[in-house]
Amino acid sequence: MPHDSHDHTDPPSDLALRVKALETALTRKGYVDPDAIDAVVDTFETKVGPRNGAAVIAKAWTDPAFKRRLLDDASAACAELGFSGQQGEQLKVVENTDAVHNMVVCTLCSCYPWPVLGLPPSWYKSHAYRSRAVIEPRAVLQEFGVDIPNNKEVRVWDSTAELRYLVLPELPAGTDGFTEDALAELVSRDSMIGTGVAQA
Amino acid sequence: MTNSVHDMGGMHGFGEISREENEPVFHAEWERKIFGMMMTSLGPFQVNLDNVRSRMESVPPTTYLKLGYYDKWLITLEELAIEKDVVSRDALAALMAGQDVQLTRDVDPFPADGMLAFLATGATAARQIETAAVFKVGDQVRARNLNPGSHTRLPRYVRGHLGIVIADAGGQIYPDTNATFSGEGPERLYTVQFQATELWGNEANPKDTVCVDLWEPYLEAARTP
Repeated sequence: MPHDSHDHTDPPSDLALRVKALETALTRKGYVDPDAIDAVVDTFETKVGPRNGAAVIAKAWTDPAFKRRLLDDASAACAELGFSGQQGEQLKVVENTDAVHNMVVCTLCSCYPWPVLGLPPSWYKSHAYRSRAVIEPRAVLQEFGVDIPNNKEVRVWDSTAELRYLVLPELPAGTDGFTEDALAELVSRDSMIGTGVAQA
Repeated sequence: MTNSVHDMGGMHGFGEISREENEPVFHAEWERKIFGMMMTSLGPFQVNLDNVRSRMESVPPTTYLKLGYYDKWLITLEELAIEKDVVSRDALAALMAGQDVQLTRDVDPFPADGMLAFLATGATAARQIETAAVFKVGDQVRARNLNPGSHTRLPRYVRGHLGIVIADAGGQIYPDTNATFSGEGPERLYTVQFQATELWGNEANPKDTVCVDLWEPYLEAARTP
């Protein structure tokens, strides 16, 4: 697999130096507060991530009334579980069925539903994913190990506005009697982007 | 900028999608810092998200393709600080060289508690608008062939193509004007579903579709045959 050097290789040291210079300048001028920077970073490193989304999905699988609310107004439903905020103000949940497989991309930048998935992985932001997801979604899915039959629709959602999409994966077979927590363990980040499926 | 390489949908040549097992949220301390600085400084800089997106897209295409994700954030924030006369290019260079530079505080930063509260509540782009919807769910529409030299969120790959309105998201801040500080100018936003064959030709799977969120000015009624 070719190494994608665009996204996250070790930086040349001048990048770190440039950031340090900018941070010093902006701190002294009053444009940033180092404590606020740490608070934001800590939020995305330790508090907000795909476990949030997995809890939402597991609840939708076990609670039909919640699922209806989620499909009707995802931001409000996710807020019931304490997941809300920036880049999740207008969440939309799209449901996988036996007729439709949904998949999310942002071709223009890297829009992503932060409160339920955290910050996007590098591959989601990569030029390869952004360019290919809309024109050859099935080839992309195959790279991720997902094979969708030709007679089932692949529906790609390009997040061009401020609506943020989360995929509700199909409940895997063989999960009768699973608790909500056990079901949440089956929900991968990729299954909520649509480049994966939930598996028991 | 509109017709530039950030508008990647449908391009070929970027190869396989490289994935990293157990990828950390950030890969280096400088990534943490640039993310935190971008998130916390937009208020003091008095710029909006659309303007920042526009700035990132305005990186020359040959440069854009070479830069990593957070490199673009760094360049954008550096240029913003220089343009707003917060710090000069020379002062940044001096700081990088380890020299001390006299810089006095001229605004108050967004504090940590305020930032956490903002993260938790966000700020919706939805806006009330009085004008009646031009299109309704089920209507066939055509994405206009618009090529503005300024910011737009109308991807090239849908321009001129026919789709069906599947949702009306109401009034939303219009990025094309908001990016240039010409006002939020809210316009109605629709989700439009395009057949893959309409966008990409008969090689595409006839079952497949692409749904794109498009503001009313990006759309026109499909001419009836």
